Amino acid sequence: MLSPDMLELDDMERDALTEVFNIGVGQAASAMSQMVNDRVELSVPSISFTSRAAAALELTHDAGQRICGVSQRFQGSFEADAILMFPENKSLEIVRLMIGDDMPIEELTAMEQEALTEIGNIILNALIGTLANVFGSEFSSSLPAFHFGTSSEILQAERKNADDLVMLLHVDFKLETHQINGYVAFLLDVSSVQGLRDSINRFMGNIAR
Amino acid sequence: MHGLHSTQLALCAAAFDAASNGLLVLDHEERIVLWNEWMSHHSGLSPQKVMGRTLTELFPELQGSRLLMALRGALHSGHPSLLSQSLNKAPLPLFSGPSPTPQQLRIRQAVKVLPLTPDGMPRHCLIQVTDVSLSVARERLLRDQAMELRACSHLDSLTSIPNRRQLDEYLARELRRAVRASAPLSLIMLDIDYFKHYNDTYGHQMGDQSLIQVAAALESTLKRPGDMVTRYGGEEFVVVLVDTDKAGAAVLAEKMRARIESLSIKHEQSQVAPHITISLGVASAIPGLNCEASTLILAADQALYQAKHNGRNRVQIYDPELLCGIRNQPNFRALQA
Repeated sequence: MLSPDMLELDDMERDALTEVFNIGVGQAASAMSQMVNDRVELSVPSISFTSRAAAALELTHDAGQRICGVSQRFQGSFEADAILMFPENKSLEIVRLMIGDDMPIEELTAMEQEALTEIGNIILNALIGTLANVFGSEFSSSLPAFHFGTSSEILQAERKNADDLVMLLHVDFKLETHQINGYVAFLLDVSSVQGLRDSINRFMGNIAR
Repeated sequence: MHGLHSTQLALCAAAFDAASNGLLVLDHEERIVLWNEWMSHHSGLSPQKVMGRTLTELFPELQGSRLLMALRGALHSGHPSLLSQSLNKAPLPLFSGPSPTPQQLRIRQAVKVLPLTPDGMPRHCLIQVTDVSLSVARERLLRDQAMELRACSHLDSLTSIPNRRQLDEYLARELRRAVRASAPLSLIMLDIDYFKHYNDTYGHQMGDQSLIQVAAALESTLKRPGDMVTRYGGEEFVVVLVDTDKAGAAVLAEKMRARIESLSIKHEQSQVAPHITISLGVASAIPGLNCEASTLILAADQALYQAKHNGRNRVQIYDPELLCGIRNQPNFRALQA
């Protein structure tokens, strides 16, 4: 059976992985800063391995609540879906901050959805690029897709996949005076967990040397 | 083009040129190797002019741009990118006509940057440009309409003056301000005399017309931006007068009464005059004392009742001595007697 324990990292391994992801999102932040002519800061304060069901719960405590997500499927030494999600109404806040729009309407318009998809694309490309560097292999990836649904729907955490493993990154997004906490989930299946594990071990071995 | 017959190749080339969006392909050195008809048409640059050149040679403004970063991400790391029009507007100098003038606006663009890995060749990059100018215009129109709707929800649909919802918000806000500033604030409540008879005699359409006329006439007597006439309901109106004490409000109320009378809107069933008249009640808050909006409205309503009782087509100022028992309620101590 697949369980979060299978990827239990020690503190040093976890710190090292967090560090690389931080370098990755740093590049995304500089690209976004340039786009909005304002300082955008992105950081990954922590990484955890958990089940899809637990990740869905962490994102929204209210199971019926719907959120926005942006996903890309990538494949290389392993294959996974990477999904950026902002809990509650934070996605709208980010888009409004970036476009500078103060229209008091609750829904994301088509244009804003597209803008959020681009923001997701920048962040996910940076993270997938980081993984490629870490693992010394290349990943090809799909164009980003926009999702709207409950965290459980977006994470495909229903029934048969509920226990599948997720690598969950916390992503802090800072713009002007706002701080917004988002998540990036890497949905892994059995073969990809093995691939990720091997890659992490190899990477740790390289650092140690 | 591995595995393609020459006819398929010719078809691919024809389809590439016929596509209704911009398509360009760059090689691993960022040099343009394919440039479709749409790109030629909207950039004013023929394929001959662009072949073998880089985007920055053609458009120096792209140096350091997001499009260039996306291009490099595709060529070097195999990352696809999407450039939304909200965040990038118009990355490429493309125009609706073939001969661009400096005044012409750029086409609004949504751009996709995709890595290509053709068999046996180094990685290339496909850039796809879609004209989204129409969608942008449509979305802007929808937003403007939404804004208008919001504004309208605070206006009475018949008379186009502020409605009761706006009165509630405005009065509460202005009362708080008046208390802070120890400034006076007055309220006039008024209605049209024998309006039910008017409707019965002339019909509801004429009734509506007279309401529109009365609302406009009331509004025209107000000169200061802080004062507001609102339709309270039916034939009832409420006027908020900021920085105005009882005496000032009484003067203005009389002016309104005279103004409506001077409209001379025929009203044969009225028992006070052969034309439309109004009755008005005035109430004022004592500067610096905390007064509830509901208290002020009730007091003005009581004064209006008294004006009706005293014969209509007149102004009555709230007077606790004349009025029914409400003066003993603690809330009413904040009213000017």
